[in-house]
Amino acid sequence: MIKFDHVSKIYPNGFKGLKDVSLEIEQGEFVGIIGLSGAGKTTLIRTVNKMHDISEGSLIVDDVEVKNLKGKALRRFRRNIGMIFQSFNLVTRTTVINNVMSAFVPDLPFWRCLFGIYRKEDKIKALEALDNMGILEKAYVRCDQLSGGQQQRVALARTLAQDPKIILADEPVAALDPVTARQVMNDFKKINTERNITVLINIHHVDLALEYVDRIIGIAAGKIVYDGPSKKITEAILSEIYGGDLSKVGSASELERHD
Amino acid sequence: MEEKLGLYDKIFKPRLITLSNGKTVMEKKSRAPLVILVILAATVLSVHITGFKFSTIMKRGYQFWDYLFRMFPPELSYVNSIWQPLFDTIKMSILGSLIGALLAIPFAMLAASNIIKSKVIVVLTRLFFSITRTLPTLVTAMVATFVFGLGTIAGTTSIAIFTFSYVGKLLYEQIETVNMGAFEAMESMGCTKLRAFSVAIIPQIMPGFIANSLYCFEGNVRYASILGYVGAGGIGLIINQTIGWRYYSRLGMIVVILFFTVVIIEYLSMWIRNKLVGEI
Amino acid sequence: MAKIIRKEKNNPYRPGMTIQEMYEARPKAYLAVSFTLLLMVLIVGWSSTALADNSSTSSDGAAVIKSIFYGLVHPELNVLFDFSRQGLPALLLETMCIAFLGTVVGAVLAIPFAFLGASNVVPAPIAMIFRTVVMAIRTIPALVYGLMFIRVTGPGPFAGLLTMSVCSIGMISKQFIESIEDIDKGILESLDAIGCNVFEKIRYGIIPQIAPDFASTLIYRFDMNLRDSSTLGIVGAGGIGAPLIFAMSGYKWQQTGAILLELIILILIVEWISNKIRNKLAHGER
Repeated sequence: MIKFDHVSKIYPNGFKGLKDVSLEIEQGEFVGIIGLSGAGKTTLIRTVNKMHDISEGSLIVDDVEVKNLKGKALRRFRRNIGMIFQSFNLVTRTTVINNVMSAFVPDLPFWRCLFGIYRKEDKIKALEALDNMGILEKAYVRCDQLSGGQQQRVALARTLAQDPKIILADEPVAALDPVTARQVMNDFKKINTERNITVLINIHHVDLALEYVDRIIGIAAGKIVYDGPSKKITEAILSEIYGGDLSKVGSASELERHD
Repeated sequence: MEEKLGLYDKIFKPRLITLSNGKTVMEKKSRAPLVILVILAATVLSVHITGFKFSTIMKRGYQFWDYLFRMFPPELSYVNSIWQPLFDTIKMSILGSLIGALLAIPFAMLAASNIIKSKVIVVLTRLFFSITRTLPTLVTAMVATFVFGLGTIAGTTSIAIFTFSYVGKLLYEQIETVNMGAFEAMESMGCTKLRAFSVAIIPQIMPGFIANSLYCFEGNVRYASILGYVGAGGIGLIINQTIGWRYYSRLGMIVVILFFTVVIIEYLSMWIRNKLVGEI
Repeated sequence: MAKIIRKEKNNPYRPGMTIQEMYEARPKAYLAVSFTLLLMVLIVGWSSTALADNSSTSSDGAAVIKSIFYGLVHPELNVLFDFSRQGLPALLLETMCIAFLGTVVGAVLAIPFAFLGASNVVPAPIAMIFRTVVMAIRTIPALVYGLMFIRVTGPGPFAGLLTMSVCSIGMISKQFIESIEDIDKGILESLDAIGCNVFEKIRYGIIPQIAPDFASTLIYRFDMNLRDSSTLGIVGAGGIGAPLIFAMSGYKWQQTGAILLELIILILIVEWISNKIRNKLAHGER
């Protein structure tokens, strides 16, 4: 369970990223976070694994107070949380399987880590994660030869290999074309339902969010303006989230067609 | 999983990994041990043959600094005798780079497989480029002094040959990666190959070509300093003299002047290259 | 993006212009073009004064070229296949060893300069200082280095390899700096999120990114060092250079031909292999 209790985040330059956010997310939920760019979506997601510190309030993830974590304890805490990035963040110069196996690095004994020699069970686990994402056949191919969608799946496989309880995804489909984006969203949905992993996803395309996600959190200027099931989203709510300017909503026209 | 197996995989058989759901994956053996072994063996052999000894460097390394410190303070009054050979070096480099780069254009065209359809011509021109590139600058300079006599002409020739081979190779590689659509469009309008090349290909390759030539020119100024050794003119001549007569402080002066020249030329050419890339 | 914005800035079009007005408003580049041309003509004119002082043009230039080609086609066979310790194949091996170890030592020397000269590792002024130092190292001619190292080690291949390694620092560190500055920091972020410590981030985030580039640079440098090896001969620093230059200055064209032929073939083979490996490094294993 993730519990935000009156959390605020002020950046060193005085910008308020989050203002008095209170939230509760149960294990196994699939949550989409929507809002204008700069509204605080990324900040919200990154506070969960302390990639960003919070300034006020308390944030408890699985009974752990996140803001007190540091050093080794923080790293061990992060082992249970997967993170997916917009730009995939893979080492493109090495093979797919090596990228996936980097998920095991923190658990390796020092000499194995130094020489990059993995155990057989690690290899099998990595291959199974790749199989799960349907790209087993690319295991020994170099990452720079894959398409964007395939690379995002490698990143997903890397996260799966970590066996996380929570996956944080920061605009995972923003760099992908619509068809691939849908495939990757399907993958997220599959992971969420099959493994009961909590998925927090920042998403720019409202139509995709409404289609896949169970619960929507709308953020505007660091404040939560909507928190509820995605089915209950109306145009009025959207216009509140997007500051009355529906033209800024990612493909709002498609939204109309859906409803 | 059908993949071609190389020689290495035939000797070191790939391992089959079976997943829990029954699928199998073939893991080829890593090449890393072989590569490391080869590098280690080559290092050991090289250390043996060259007589590399770390202790010698530790024991007698001060001699290196000793030599260096003798160059300082440099003899400032010597500067007046440096200008003439220095300008000679720069002139040689400019002219040599220009001639070489211009000569490279037609040959690079012949070596580009997307322009010339005849395989024989392409392969022959490339071989020509390769062989000229293997000729050490010092050798071409020496031959040039035999042909043109001692002096700057020999140096210019040698620089031109080097530039020709270096720029030419980069140029034909660049021509081959160029977008051919415009070339075809021109040909379809009834242009000859040459005209289509000048209208459709040259604008695409021009910035890269000029940048490469400038880069080559930078290097040539540096290289030109050794040409003097074989009597091919320029600053190398006086470097050689000062070394021969052991005028270390004069040598120091030459090195200082050379440093500033190289810095100025490098920044100038970087500025021009940036401007070119920015504009097109 | 900046390029597009600048182009738009120069766009003379204003709403409501007629064709005639648009024609008048065309960007006029005569001045810039003619100035550049004039400058080029002046520079070339100035440079060509270098050709004026050809002191003694020997009349038998054609004859020399002819005898060189004759030598290349008729190399001295006993030189070509002299497998003794002083023979050509042994000297070629020595040259390769000098080039190889020169590259390795040069790389070791260049790595600190590369990291201290990369503007994403250290503050910009410090990077600037180290780049200037590298430039200074590059300025001293190989000839001078050769003589300096001969005082340390005595004449022979050892001095040659030290000369070669110092002469390699400039190019190697320049290339290394470029690949270090290209590092994608996003990967470090994702390793952070996985829970890696600093050592693990360097080992799995940075090294895999720069290793192929570094390897490629070193292979290319080995190629170049092999070519430059003849330079070492003139300072008595081992390898094939000395016999080559002696043969040439003694007008022994058949011997020169034999040496050149073997050197050229060796360089071509090495270049072919190095191109293959570098292609693989750049575009993936398979």
